[in-house]
Amino acid sequence: MNKFLGIIALAFFTFSCSSELDFNQINNIETKPVIVANLASFDIQANQFVKGGIEQIQTGDLINFEVFNDSFFKTNLKRVDFYFEFNNTINRAYTINLYFLDDKNSIVYSIPFDVPAYSGVQNVVTKTEVFQGANLDLLKKTAKIAFTVTMHPGPLLNENSLGNLKLRSSATIYLNAE
Amino acid sequence: MRKITLFFVLLVSIGCISQNKQILYNFTSIPQSLLTNPGLDVKYIGFIGIPFLSGVSANVGSSGFSAYDLFAKNGVDFNAKLRNVVFSTSRKDKLAINEQIEVVSGGFKLGDWQSGSYVSFGMYQEMDLLVYMPKDYAIVMLDGNKDYVGKVFDFGDLNARGELLSVFHLGFHKNINEKLILGARGKIYSSIFNIESTNNSGYFYTKTDANTIYEQVISSNVMVNTSGFTNYTDYYSGNTKSDILKKTLLGGNLGLGLDVGLTYYPEKNMQFTASILDVGFIRHTKEVRDYRFKGYYRHLGLTPDFEPGSSGNGIYQDFIKAIPLDTLNVKYTTWRPIKFNTSFQYSFGDGRNSECNCLGNEIESKNAVGAQLFAMTTPRSPLMALTAYYKRQIFKSLEMKATYTLDSFSLKNIGLGLSTTIGKVNFYFLADNLLEYRDVAKANSLSFQFGLNIIFPDKNTPY
Repeated sequence: MNKFLGIIALAFFTFSCSSELDFNQINNIETKPVIVANLASFDIQANQFVKGGIEQIQTGDLINFEVFNDSFFKTNLKRVDFYFEFNNTINRAYTINLYFLDDKNSIVYSIPFDVPAYSGVQNVVTKTEVFQGANLDLLKKTAKIAFTVTMHPGPLLNENSLGNLKLRSSATIYLNAE
Repeated sequence: MRKITLFFVLLVSIGCISQNKQILYNFTSIPQSLLTNPGLDVKYIGFIGIPFLSGVSANVGSSGFSAYDLFAKNGVDFNAKLRNVVFSTSRKDKLAINEQIEVVSGGFKLGDWQSGSYVSFGMYQEMDLLVYMPKDYAIVMLDGNKDYVGKVFDFGDLNARGELLSVFHLGFHKNINEKLILGARGKIYSSIFNIESTNNSGYFYTKTDANTIYEQVISSNVMVNTSGFTNYTDYYSGNTKSDILKKTLLGGNLGLGLDVGLTYYPEKNMQFTASILDVGFIRHTKEVRDYRFKGYYRHLGLTPDFEPGSSGNGIYQDFIKAIPLDTLNVKYTTWRPIKFNTSFQYSFGDGRNSECNCLGNEIESKNAVGAQLFAMTTPRSPLMALTAYYKRQIFKSLEMKATYTLDSFSLKNIGLGLSTTIGKVNFYFLADNLLEYRDVAKANSLSFQFGLNIIFPDKNTPY
């Protein structure tokens, strides 16, 4: 009787089949996620350019930006697009600069923007900066970003002046993880 | 290649829940059937399991995809296959693996042949793994969020548990009267390794916004509990082998459990059975390490502040402050998956004609048909399976049970079990999803059980 069972068990495995599988394929795994995220934003009111009755021609801020120098990004980052959108409703023109600084506070990259004065019609300036190859290496070195806003000459502003200078911006991050 | 695949299937099986033992359940000639119902109507005065060989079972189930879908050697790019699997499955799809090896087992009748009391005991090692498809996590990893602006990713998609444990058990059952048998089994669990992450919540979304380009929010309450690993992940100078052996022999994280069951004959040829197994818990206090990712973060990006003397915030530091990854050592309790079985059986064609025995009412009928229901608790909705079966005594010493089961893994699960008792040696071999053996690589679910026991038949039975 055990023989009988043995034969059945043997037949069971003999007649079982399997399509060919290749588990080594797992080594070919490669994902290319694309991530979108806010990069920066601000909203400066016209009266913020006036302090004690005097126009502030230049203003700025320095912010830590230790994102792409992370070891994960160092190996898997393939491309980054920064999208900027300025909307100016103040009747003064501006030059805005973004300076990318490394950990020794040296400027490694800069992006300038010229935003014209508001004249009653929609006044939007957009720019897309693509980081690939050599540029991307500079981005990976960036530890801080300095924002400078310079106001060009024009009709004087006072504490009751209306309008604002707005920035919206985003990053599109292309990864390639193997 | 076929050998390698078979080896892999076996390896996965030996290394590794859907835990439904529909063929073994109520297969009274197999002693191990007692583990699925402590109130089983046993017909022998005693048994001893052959150590390590008395009860070997493995069960692999994967709803949604098979090994073939991912690893077929068909020239299709692996990443394309991976995408197919991820996008054709849902968060309800699961991979379940369960393996049990009985180390020692035995049972004997108390008192003389008229006594209806029976004791059984043993120790087995078990491994359980249940992983739900972490769909939203997989989408982010494959595609990122660029094409999913407006979608809310659910952190609750991470739901998995795994355990390696040993179980010591002692069962008692009694024939209350001719119609009713009641049984209970106490268990002590010794957990060797445990990993559990089943109560996660939180979300991540990216929507468009007027003031910033996006509105981006991460709210997370994710926790992974582990026990039994820290000795190996941290600085370790011990001996792994003796360590695991010690943990197997009640040196691990301990717990208690209870099985109860019954068999009832409303009529001579009608049988009703039911059992509830593994109502129990394990308290994890040793070598505990928990990982928590909890907090709320709204990502605005850089927000320069042009007021003199103040500065805006950086991105990364803020995020880490808002949602830190904490490593904790908090004791925790896990609940064993509770299993429920019930069956109804109608017997016909008794053996009187062929076997010619005078004790007519003691002879089991040659044929029986029945239906079984299985349910098991999981971190989400319970697993259910419905089985119809046919049982037949083919020869005096050979019994067969054929099953047809419907569950979330398969709608055409045909199983077959054979149990032979020659002299005092009982051997059984049970396997289900037989249709899937035509191509095991494409199988969504496979299980088998086999074992070898020494049985001391009841003198009262017509053997």
